[in-house]
Amino acid sequence: MAAVAGRTYPAVKIEIDAERVAAFANAIGADPDDGVPPTFAAVYSLGVTAPQLFGDEDAAVDFARLLHAEQEFEWQRHPRVGETVSSRGRVASDMSRRGMRFVTLETDTTDAAGAPVCRSRALFVIRA
Amino acid sequence: MTERRVTFTREQIAAYAEASGDVNPIHLDDDFARSVGLPGVIAHGMLQMGILATVAAEEAGGPKRLRRLSVRFAGMVVPGDTVAFTASRSVGERLELAAVNQKGEAVLTKSSADIS
Repeated sequence: MAAVAGRTYPAVKIEIDAERVAAFANAIGADPDDGVPPTFAAVYSLGVTAPQLFGDEDAAVDFARLLHAEQEFEWQRHPRVGETVSSRGRVASDMSRRGMRFVTLETDTTDAAGAPVCRSRALFVIRA
Repeated sequence: MTERRVTFTREQIAAYAEASGDVNPIHLDDDFARSVGLPGVIAHGMLQMGILATVAAEEAGGPKRLRRLSVRFAGMVVPGDTVAFTASRSVGERLELAAVNQKGEAVLTKSSADIS
């Protein structure tokens, strides 16, 4: 297993799809008429970059021992249905301590003009 | 203060799995969940965070006003658990948030939001 702190993954574009947003709103009990629920970032931000980390052979993340420990989202603005955003993941830190591995994955989401939409910080804890 | 009580069901957990794309079988398959040491299927931490966000949004006067939301996933939530999600104004543009189950245990901790 290699610590992959500093690794950046290729940006992924994703469309904010109306049906997907409605299904997500219903699943969390949000009003679908209120626009894109803030934590839809679980789909357009973390949702596209976490699989890149989990699929990275060098990172060798043991998915079966992984726990999503903390999550933070910061929004410059919330995306609109129909727009396309781009999310880029970066391993901000990757440290081991007493048999536990702590990986922080940051994701920056920007819009078609390159302006910031959302920043996500996910802390994953992988036990030995 | 804004509060919302949710009694979790397998159906809601499955609906969130499909809607979010997180189809990890620990949320969908009891046998698989038990095989990795869980009591059975568990609710996604992100589902809990999503519900908490709706409460924070209501307290803030609308979801567009949410600027930042952070949580620590502290405890397991299984079908049948009832969690009380609350949001209240703290200082300035900060909201204090909580999610406590029917046993009085906090399932989300270190939770706060900044609004505009």
